[in-house]
Amino acid sequence: MSANDLLTGKVVFYSPGGWSFRSNDALKINIKDIEKFQRIIEEDEKRCIIVSPEFVELDESGHIKTLRDKIRNSGVTIEI
Amino acid sequence: MYKYSEKDKKIIAGRVKQFRNQVQRRLNGKISEEEFKPLRLMNGLYLQLHAYMLRVAIPYGELSSRQLRKLAEIADKYDRGYGHFTTRQNIQFNWPKLPDVPDILEELSKVEMHAIQTSGNCIRNISADHLAGLTNDEVEDPRPWCEIIRKWSTFHPEFSFLPRKFKIAITGCENDRAAILVHDIGLKLIKKGSRIGFQVFVGGGQGRTPYIAKKINDFLLKKDLLNYLEAILTTYNQLGRRDNIYKARIKILVNQLGVEKFKELVDESFKKLSDKKLELNETTIQKIFKFFELPNIKHCNEKISISSNQKFNNWIKQNTIPHKILGNSIVLISLKSENRPPGDANSMQMYKLANIADKFSFGEIRVTHEQNLVLPHVKNSEIYEVWNELDKLELATPNIDLITDTICCPGMDYCALATARSIPISQQISNFFKDYGDQKKMGNIKIKISGCINACGHHHVGNIGILGLDRNGKEFYQITLGGSSKQDASIGQIVGPSFSSENLIIAIKKILQTYQKNKSSDKDDFMTVFRRIGIEEFKKNLYDNTGKTN
Ligand code: SF4
Repeated sequence: MSANDLLTGKVVFYSPGGWSFRSNDALKINIKDIEKFQRIIEEDEKRCIIVSPEFVELDESGHIKTLRDKIRNSGVTIEI
Repeated sequence: MYKYSEKDKKIIAGRVKQFRNQVQRRLNGKISEEEFKPLRLMNGLYLQLHAYMLRVAIPYGELSSRQLRKLAEIADKYDRGYGHFTTRQNIQFNWPKLPDVPDILEELSKVEMHAIQTSGNCIRNISADHLAGLTNDEVEDPRPWCEIIRKWSTFHPEFSFLPRKFKIAITGCENDRAAILVHDIGLKLIKKGSRIGFQVFVGGGQGRTPYIAKKINDFLLKKDLLNYLEAILTTYNQLGRRDNIYKARIKILVNQLGVEKFKELVDESFKKLSDKKLELNETTIQKIFKFFELPNIKHCNEKISISSNQKFNNWIKQNTIPHKILGNSIVLISLKSENRPPGDANSMQMYKLANIADKFSFGEIRVTHEQNLVLPHVKNSEIYEVWNELDKLELATPNIDLITDTICCPGMDYCALATARSIPISQQISNFFKDYGDQKKMGNIKIKISGCINACGHHHVGNIGILGLDRNGKEFYQITLGGSSKQDASIGQIVGPSFSSENLIIAIKKILQTYQKNKSSDKDDFMTVFRRIGIEEFKKNLYDNTGKTN
């Protein structure tokens, strides 16, 4: 589960300790539990912690699946 | 250059204060993201893939050295030390923090800048020929007209919530360097006898459904400009679709109604408005024109001397144009050096460029819609010194209009809407074709790259257009050929199945081979050949006997 941090816009991941900037801390969620976590998202949006939440799809080995999410996790792929 | 009036200053200061309050309310939880989003967008603030992005307006691409210094300062103080110049002659900062944005806007207001009209369904920043007022091929300088339109359109109560965003571009000469035919409204200043007026084109645009604008007025008197624009906008505002975002631009309306019917409706509305409140008088026009008078440039016979330095000679050939005042040149600064994202400039480059502009170009800088910069008035006698300074800053790449002078949107490296990356593609092209001699042999070719169908990288009007696609989670690139944004504008034709990023360069090479093979003289550029032989010939070489190109 990920979102952008309201203050910085940085990508954050939902972890057992709350929202974290590190994807390694992220809680892996089973698809059947999504509804429960959606409630957390709504709450944290209301509490002005996060914005623009979205679920990150993982492959069978638990790695981030799409390039878009990989870039959201690791940052731009070019030298700036 | 235009200077803010007291009223302008008050409006901008008021707007900053208002936004500060809105941000505060958002941070305090008094307004939700849903409520805040339209407010932040009206102030140029987007939320991208992994950060906020602030788009700052550079009206018709004109910047003073003082403003450029401020942009550099903002890049250092609030961002990551660089900015990105866009295809609408604006600048984007990719990493601002929400609580800092009101401070950034306040700092910008001190140098007469803002982020209004850079987002939302309003009339956006008006763009113009980056060589406005500098060349002899011009009927009249379009910048004062941009300013007149800007004054009319900013916070226009009726046109702040249009069905969709609305873009206007103006050129002052036949040679269209402002891509007017792919704008919602394109205006061309023309001369009829001794009088100067406008040709008016409507309904151009790119994105999902690209169209070339159609002419609806062959000669509009200057005095009627605002009334006529008001008539077009009113017609669009009333009839444009609001139920489907993909069908909401004026181009769809013009095409659904037919250009004749649309023109009829505009003319009807214009009749009710003309000779009324918005009619421009000569005094008002002249007052605005005064701001755009040339600085005190000396006329002389000095030519640029050929040097023993080949790098300098190449740059002169490629990146300079004679100024209309003899003995002076216009310097085009490429922001497409190898390995740099197209359109990016770091703060050090911006600071130093501001100093160069002060010393050699009356403190003026321009931004082009092709994501380069311009020093508009440089003495020929000082041009070697300018080159030397630019070279030290890695701003002297001699590639204007050549294959490595790509237009490229931020793509998936930044943009939340992207389906593929575009900057790495542009960098591949820069690396592969870096040799100046080889580029020169190929002549002028425009490669334009977009990371999704929204076409911010203008791929539809690239001689070679590249559109990033997502095919089952993998990046693929569709090629279009034969697009042009010039006076003979055309939309590129899809060449066939798309290519993986690994095979894209091979495909471009094959396209260039076909072009080279079919040149009938050295003077034939890519478009001449394309229009003569058609797309089939290109397809044959691209997909036949290639084994695996895609
Ligand atoms: S073309 Fe698409 S990917 Fe590129 S900047 Fe525009 S919306 Fe983003």
